Amino acid sequence: MFKKMLFGLLLACSFSAAANIVVIVNPSNTSSVNAEELVRIYTGRSNAFSAVNLAESVPLRAQFDEKGVGRTSAQLKAHWSKLVFTGKGTPPAELASEEAVLEFVANNPQGIGYISADKVTSAVKVVHTIN
Amino acid sequence: MKKTVLSLALMGCLAAPAVFANVAINGFASIKGGMTTGSDEFLYGYDDSFDLKNESLFALQVKSDLGEKLSVTGQLMGRGNKDFDVGFEWAFITYELSDNMRVNAGRLRTPFYKYSDFKDVAYAYDWLRVPQGVYGLGFDNIEGVSFYRTAQLGAFESTLQAVAGSYDGKAIVSGLEVDAEIKNILGVTWELAKGNLSGRVAYLTGKVTIDAESASLGQNVTIGGLFNTLNGFGLNNLVSAIDIQEEKGTFLGFGLTYDNSDWVAVTEITRVKVDNSFIAEQNNYYVSLGKRFNSFTPYVSYEVEDNDSRDDIFLPFQTVLPPQLFVPVQGLVRSQERSTKTWNLGARYDFHPSAAFKVQYSSEKNDTTGDRAGLIALGVDLVF
Repeated sequence: MFKKMLFGLLLACSFSAAANIVVIVNPSNTSSVNAEELVRIYTGRSNAFSAVNLAESVPLRAQFDEKGVGRTSAQLKAHWSKLVFTGKGTPPAELASEEAVLEFVANNPQGIGYISADKVTSAVKVVHTIN
Repeated sequence: MKKTVLSLALMGCLAAPAVFANVAINGFASIKGGMTTGSDEFLYGYDDSFDLKNESLFALQVKSDLGEKLSVTGQLMGRGNKDFDVGFEWAFITYELSDNMRVNAGRLRTPFYKYSDFKDVAYAYDWLRVPQGVYGLGFDNIEGVSFYRTAQLGAFESTLQAVAGSYDGKAIVSGLEVDAEIKNILGVTWELAKGNLSGRVAYLTGKVTIDAESASLGQNVTIGGLFNTLNGFGLNNLVSAIDIQEEKGTFLGFGLTYDNSDWVAVTEITRVKVDNSFIAEQNNYYVSLGKRFNSFTPYVSYEVEDNDSRDDIFLPFQTVLPPQLFVPVQGLVRSQERSTKTWNLGARYDFHPSAAFKVQYSSEKNDTTGDRAGLIALGVDLVF
């Protein structure tokens, strides 16, 4: 019994450590998003969606920067500084929590964001999964 | 009670515009210090006493989104080498024609180089400063209009910028700050990127007028005085070959970048020409290589400046002119001769999510004068 519990606990822990990040859009949105398009959206090359980001204080942000956009947070910040201070773009708005991202996307037909897989609800549609 | 509710409601209404006007305030700053390695060495505004002001700067940018695709952006900057006097570095309005097309109008950065637009935002690149051998042109900003378009061309990401405007301000001629004006500036830059590779080409032209007449040639002779004397001798042709009155200036630049997130290699080659003037044709380039180790990025770069003075201006007059006129003419033309080679060795360390520490050693060898100057500089670049 105890062993089983421990195993369960371990399993839960390992799951949360390796939680997939999912990219979510509004259920009414029929566009598809692949890895390339995702990079374009989060580097300011595509305005097809109204993208939101997580605040830097949320650990998932750094994971997404690296696995989803393919750059370190510092590199991305440097990239966005180029656009911001030259009037060529505005970075995605930063929201404080995954719940806030979920709510934004659920209420915004053009919205796109990302949360951990275990937080997905039926209010949003998963269009891409980052391992 | 009712009054309170009403006044609260009114307050809410009054406060509403401030709440909904979409204003973004961003800023960047650099605090840098440096000193040259010898008492007779001068480089980039430094001498051998440690100076924390020369390259430090502070800027605040306010962007207000007015809705309906219109926004206004102002960038206030104070530079240490100008006593931190704050002025509008940029001020422009932006109209978004579509998702990938925008027009900026107002005071803008002249898009000569790959890093022109954000050369003051040092946080955005790895170097402590952009390569001065190439970026030393001045004329940073213009008053004008810029059209900016991004597009996907097959496998390439294309960024096209067209600019039109004018410059009216200062320029440095033979070490003296003089009035300069460039009218009818027209330029196009085009950047193509695919994967880790990107290439850029820039071409700009304009009508250049530089009022260098007050610049001294030594021994109580100014350029203006020399011109007067030459005109007195009927040598108007020589004067017009030297002076800078509505002369056609051209800028041509090529850039190539490879960045695979581990390695970053950058090179830019530029050519600057001002027809019918004593300004030398400037052929400059740099190559740079950096390697990222997580938050630590060491780099090495090499710059070459090659400005051949236009001796063809004075050579035909060698036997015609008396020495007291020939010597200052030759001196003026030759003053533009410049051949330098610079090595830079440095590193960036991202010690904080919004700040980077940098250190860079530069060694410039001036083949024209035979001088060498070493400079060590360090500091912090940040964005907020």
